[in-house]
Amino acid sequence: MLQDGSTQILCLTANSGVPLFTRGASKQLPFSVIGSLNGVHMFGDGQGVVLSSSQTDCGGRVVWRVFHDSVMLIAVNGGHRSGGAVKGHVKGEELFLERLLENVWNCMVLVLGRDELTNTRNVERLKKDLRSCFGLIDQLLEDGRQGIMGNLTHCADCLLPPNPALVQEAVNGFTQSVDSEFGCLVVHGCIAAATEKWWRLAPQEVVLLSALTRMLSASGSASCDYPVFLPQGSPTVAHRLLRFQLLPGADVCVLCGPAPSLHKAQSDLVRQFWSPLAETLRDCLAVGERCLPGTVALRVPDVLALLVVNREARRSVSCVRASADDSPAPPSTPRCWELLRLFYIFAATRYFGQEEAPVSGAAPSEEKAHSRSSSSGDFVAGFSHQPLQCYLVTEECKCYGLQTQQHQLFLLTPLSVPTFALRNVATQTLSAVTADTGF
Amino acid sequence: MAQDPPPGSIVTPDWHRCAESKDFFDRIMHKKKRKQFGLLESPMMAPHVAVNTVHYKVLLSGKSGVGKTSLAARLAGLSIPNMHYETTGIETIVLYWPVKLKENGRVLFFRLQLWDCGENALRRFDHLLPSCKEQVDAVLFLFSFTDRTSFDDLPNQIARWSEPSDRVVKMVVGTKFDLFMHSDVTQREVMQFQERQGLPVLRTGAEASDGLGDVAYFLNCLAERLWHQDCMAATLDSCPTHYREGALI
Ligand SMILES: Nc1nc2c(ncn2[C@@H]2O[C@H](COP(=O)(O)OP(=O)(O)O)[C@@H](O)[C@H]2O)c(=O)[nH]1
Ligand SMILES: [Mg+2]
Repeated sequence: MLQDGSTQILCLTANSGVPLFTRGASKQLPFSVIGSLNGVHMFGDGQGVVLSSSQTDCGGRVVWRVFHDSVMLIAVNGGHRSGGAVKGHVKGEELFLERLLENVWNCMVLVLGRDELTNTRNVERLKKDLRSCFGLIDQLLEDGRQGIMGNLTHCADCLLPPNPALVQEAVNGFTQSVDSEFGCLVVHGCIAAATEKWWRLAPQEVVLLSALTRMLSASGSASCDYPVFLPQGSPTVAHRLLRFQLLPGADVCVLCGPAPSLHKAQSDLVRQFWSPLAETLRDCLAVGERCLPGTVALRVPDVLALLVVNREARRSVSCVRASADDSPAPPSTPRCWELLRLFYIFAATRYFGQEEAPVSGAAPSEEKAHSRSSSSGDFVAGFSHQPLQCYLVTEECKCYGLQTQQHQLFLLTPLSVPTFALRNVATQTLSAVTADTGF
Repeated sequence: MAQDPPPGSIVTPDWHRCAESKDFFDRIMHKKKRKQFGLLESPMMAPHVAVNTVHYKVLLSGKSGVGKTSLAARLAGLSIPNMHYETTGIETIVLYWPVKLKENGRVLFFRLQLWDCGENALRRFDHLLPSCKEQVDAVLFLFSFTDRTSFDDLPNQIARWSEPSDRVVKMVVGTKFDLFMHSDVTQREVMQFQERQGLPVLRTGAEASDGLGDVAYFLNCLAERLWHQDCMAATLDSCPTHYREGALI
């Protein structure tokens, strides 16, 4: 039906099944298939059943979800992905697709606002308007391939700068100067510093705004003034996202009201606040894809890839091949990212369970109930206690998951690390990342 | 309205081909590609070579899909998007371009900030247009050779800017000239339009090239008109021109 492993998003009107758009996968599903996917959901509806997910015998998976009785999103994932042992537990795939649908809906709200999506008087017009969301939706689909985990974890991808106090101060000062409380500095697509209020946005919003910044930054533009609706906090009133590229790869963003104008903020304030920090910003850029400052010492040859989640703050850092002497031994870097995602899905759904942070503001309770219901693991349900650690040995790498009150660590090591040593490597890695940085 | 300078009368045309310009163009290149400058950066010359930088704001205007975003990317030497994604707000691109004035042989860096705003966004959000107009120095009106309606709409677009107090350089740009086989607009019509409106019409197309030749004519034309406008303004009411020291970091 679809190419190996590719995911396609279908969007239709909920009540009449008119196709609105499709994204992802180079080859579109035939119209008849789209019609059937919608039809089978409608059939269930007529019987008082909500069809939320289904699986083909070759590992393909379909997930349905209706948003606000107005828009239906369907995610279709072609099976046969070369996932090896990690992929063996298909159950987790559902979590990924459900979050994807939620993210896509949030993209649509962010660009168009909820009213535009729910009061559809003219389907043709809606179809046309929805095109403005494609850039962001495609960015989201693309992100997974580039080492961005936030759309999966709903935790903000962070970069830990070598001199956090300096950049924090600059972000706070600059944000204040544009009459806002919401500001953040994005380096290499990850958040290097943000104001307190920025961190109090819903985690999905933080993730989405990061994706938007990556998209705008990738186009090479110097500054932007983007109207954005906040899916949780302000779905019907647009705010302005101002973004300034300080250096290529380092962007500062603020959410603000009608003033100041882009021209004014840029010509008066950007240089004033950031010129003195040019060198500091270069140091942040030098951290690169490692996302961790040089002071964090990892047991280099033993760490293929890692993801550390701060559970309470809903932030994460991740990197692949943190070593400087990049050994060409397989698996390749892109493959490591894929394995890290798969292991996260595996461990998070099967053992750790995922927590959604309490959503601030008035999210419809119907939605909250939904996101909890389907993906909590069968395994966990059978036990009275919470697993704290888990490991997995595959043909490509070894994986270790570790959970504390505050953090979760997902670690990949080469096969050469003895299995009995994994726990040791994991504990050391976690404390190396968190101890000095205060992450 | 200021009388237009004939092309090549104010700045040295094809200066990028002269050997003496190499030192200047090297500052805007990186590994044979155009260098990208963040807002905190600018081209850095050796300390003894004092070069002034002049700042201008240039707005791209035209209906959705004519090629505003692509033109901005092309002029700045960025990769041109092959997908059409609607621009859902204002995006600006900064580029630097060295120019040699014919009059006195002085070299200037033009810092052009190109403002690109999606038409649908303009319609949906009232605050965007005033922001685009604020202190604008030039407007480029775009039409596409493959879209007749975009050509027919030009007088409307231009009319929005007709207040005589506006001190704004206006130019018309025909995009997708490379697709002239599918052209909806004839050369004759373009010539007639040019005469009627008294505005220059430039043409661009998507022929792949990474050299400067592709954009040099365009940027020199634009620079020339901007400079001319400033000189006229300075003689009329001696208002400050766009001089600003190029801050070096
Ligand atoms: N062949 C050709 N295609 C172009 C040219 N300029 C833009 N396009 C294409 O036209 C579409 C719309 O361009 P875009 O710059 O996004 O339009 P905008 O809506 O005005 O910003 C894109 O698919 C571009 O690749 C051109 O000069 N030649
Ligand atoms: Mg555009």
